[in-house]
Amino acid sequence: MGAAISVGLTLAVIWFLEKMTGTSMVARPIVVSSVIGLLLGDVTTGVMIGASLELIFMGAIQIGGAVPPDPLFGAALGTAFAILTGEGIEVALALALPIAILAQSLKVVIFIIRSWFMDYAVKMAKEANIKGLITLNLGGLIMQCVIYFIVGFTAITFGSAAVQVFVDNIPVVIMSGLKVAGGLLPAVGFALLLRPMMNKGNFLYFLLGFILVAYMALPMLAITIIGVVLSFIIVFEKNDVQGVLAGNAADDEMEGLFDE
Amino acid sequence: MSNKVKSTKEDKKMFRELFFNSFVLEASYNYERQQSLGFAVGMWPAIKRFYKTKEERAEALERHLAIFNITPHLAPTVTGVATAMEEKASQDASFDRGAINSIKVGLMGPLSGIGDSIFWGTLRVITVGIGVSLAKDGNILGPLLFLLLYNIPHLLVRYYGLVFGYKFGTSLISSASESGLITKMSKAATIVGLTVIGAMTASMVRMKTALSGNFGGVEFELQTYLDQIFPLLLPLAYTLFMFWLLKKNQKPTMLLFTTIAIGIAGVLIGVL
Repeated sequence: MGAAISVGLTLAVIWFLEKMTGTSMVARPIVVSSVIGLLLGDVTTGVMIGASLELIFMGAIQIGGAVPPDPLFGAALGTAFAILTGEGIEVALALALPIAILAQSLKVVIFIIRSWFMDYAVKMAKEANIKGLITLNLGGLIMQCVIYFIVGFTAITFGSAAVQVFVDNIPVVIMSGLKVAGGLLPAVGFALLLRPMMNKGNFLYFLLGFILVAYMALPMLAITIIGVVLSFIIVFEKNDVQGVLAGNAADDEMEGLFDE
Repeated sequence: MSNKVKSTKEDKKMFRELFFNSFVLEASYNYERQQSLGFAVGMWPAIKRFYKTKEERAEALERHLAIFNITPHLAPTVTGVATAMEEKASQDASFDRGAINSIKVGLMGPLSGIGDSIFWGTLRVITVGIGVSLAKDGNILGPLLFLLLYNIPHLLVRYYGLVFGYKFGTSLISSASESGLITKMSKAATIVGLTVIGAMTASMVRMKTALSGNFGGVEFELQTYLDQIFPLLLPLAYTLFMFWLLKKNQKPTMLLFTTIAIGIAGVLIGVL
């Protein structure tokens, strides 16, 4: 009971904070799992599960209207079940993904319900009713948080026993397979991040970052600075050099060639 | 639109109000109008300042209820631009108010391109890397440091983006767009983002083969040879394979389950 309330409240409060602070990343697994660990009395395990799940859900970010699997639910419930059953990271991992995918449809439903609110919003705007608009905006968020509490509370109350039976029956080979999969899953996340950014023309920059770690084991900050310097040279400096050259060779015939 | 370079006391008060109102952008995110309700609420301090009649305020609020969507951290920059245009509109009756929404729509795409690369692709990836390196040993500083490192630039961009958007208004942003500055910034952000994601892929994706053979009494471990030729070749190959599948329009969910299946199957047959 206490655990169910803790998990339900964590879901509701964290989502409320995330959307009241302009998407400040408090709903990411690394934070959510740590909070769940803290509330359920095993901070260390919570934080460690958070680290693994954060990498797995690397690509689960909402860009535009497309709703990805929900890392908040996956992390909160996956971590809670792992701690409550006394099992480790592999169990959290096995449960977090299917849960995140189920929660994805919950979010879709909420986005549809709130679309109906927009008629009221337009009516209120026509009357310059700002108090009404602020209330409606917050009301939409609070409705979502209440639903999150109910779903989280119910899942822990009725799900724990079933999850325990399920976990007790997972064969050893599946568990070690899940461990291997845990190392592989961030690849999906990174691929998702790369999809809108990478093409044939800029693949080499990705490769460069990879090589700097694979062969040279440089720290992240060093690689970031290299990336910034490189981008400056390529995007700004190089064009200026062309401009300077065009200026030096300032005869009329050449000008047309270098002008952009 | 405003050519004042120095902010008056009243300007600063408005910036503060707009800044604090900007956080609820996505409280009621929905399919029909996406972030518009939050955006309209966020514009109120400016609308209240520049329009005095109920009719004008209503018209402005309704204008900002038009569908809107952007990387949340860059929304205040657009709020700043829209504020400058609303100010102009309140002073000049002949000002084409329809232009306000066209400018907003025009900024959505390019600014989101930059914002997604910088915030989702670069800043988040770096700060997650730092946070996870501590958190994987169970250190509570991991999540705390992650939140701190992510949100300092987040808050700075929120506030100064707003001030920048207002001060330089549409003139500079549209001339930046014409001179190709926005395209250049977007390209630069992509280069940094790709380099960082490449580095993170190398440090975070784990894949080793357990394949080994015995040829004439000589023990042969494939992984040892791979490490000498191209360390981390397998994680690179697997990430690019996932990328390729996404390009072929495979669903992310399908990739997640395929990966789990590969992990289990790999252990079963002794390859991984």
